[in-house]
Amino acid sequence: MKFQKKRAATKQEIPTSSMPDIVFMLLLFFMVSTTLREVDVLVQYTLPEAEAIEKIENKRLISYIWVGTTGQIQINDNLVNMNEIGPIMYQKRVDIPEVVVSFRVDVNSDMGIVTDIQQELRKVDARRINYSARLRQ
Amino acid sequence: MVKIKKNKNKGAEIPTGSMADIAFLLLLFFLVATVIDVDTGIGLVLPEPVEDTDVTPISKERMAALLVNENGDVLLDGKVIAIPQIKENLIERITSKIDVPKKSKLVVSVKTDRKTNYNLYIQSLDQVNGAYAEVRDAYSMQTYGQKFNDLNDEQSRDVKDKIPKIVSLAEPESVK
Repeated sequence: MKFQKKRAATKQEIPTSSMPDIVFMLLLFFMVSTTLREVDVLVQYTLPEAEAIEKIENKRLISYIWVGTTGQIQINDNLVNMNEIGPIMYQKRVDIPEVVVSFRVDVNSDMGIVTDIQQELRKVDARRINYSARLRQ
Repeated sequence: MVKIKKNKNKGAEIPTGSMADIAFLLLLFFLVATVIDVDTGIGLVLPEPVEDTDVTPISKERMAALLVNENGDVLLDGKVIAIPQIKENLIERITSKIDVPKKSKLVVSVKTDRKTNYNLYIQSLDQVNGAYAEVRDAYSMQTYGQKFNDLNDEQSRDVKDKIPKIVSLAEPESVK
């Protein structure tokens, strides 16, 4: 007797016609929920950890200042000197009046450099600042 | 005459087989080029620049002077304390000033030396912020039965009015 293999009559393929739609939806989600990476960070730093921290609601208002392990200061894409901070931040404050300056300073820095930057910021009236910190687990 | 055969396609269609691949490529691009992480940190408003040193004196009773010196000692009103103790110390003092008029609320003044470690400074500020957050939460719980973050605008304004967060950075001394 000959056995015949029974095969299901239905097609054994996963329908892929809606795949682009699904992927586009994913894409849209990412486009809406993320912001573009703007700068390359040139300095090395480790952020301090803290508990009572708050989120910055509007990311477009933030302007960053990095201070690395060796004390270099970076604004935008460049390493800058202390006396250049004033003019740069003044321009930023003119562009965005309610700018929030976020300090991304290495944990082992001295306060001296932070104080100097703060004094520069006070001179140009960019007085809203934020010490960037990670949430302690 | 040679007859030119017209190649007539019946249904002209754009091939969609590779659409998924294209979409995936776009998706990958956005995954790589964007950041999701939320910025968190300790917010603060710097004091206005002062021309001279004509600072208005603040009564001792109103002020909590926090000094973090270069050896890593933390002094609250001249007494050495450990960093985790800042919170409880301040909570008491903030709570005692909830019902006083606006002009005599507590002012926390934070001062550092040039050689102070940045991490210590952040830890101390964190303690101060934590103290305010706890007092606000306790007050909100008592008055509105909700945590501070769950209050509506009007209520949270009232709480902020009663317990304003006044953290002042002390004027740095000129370098000797």
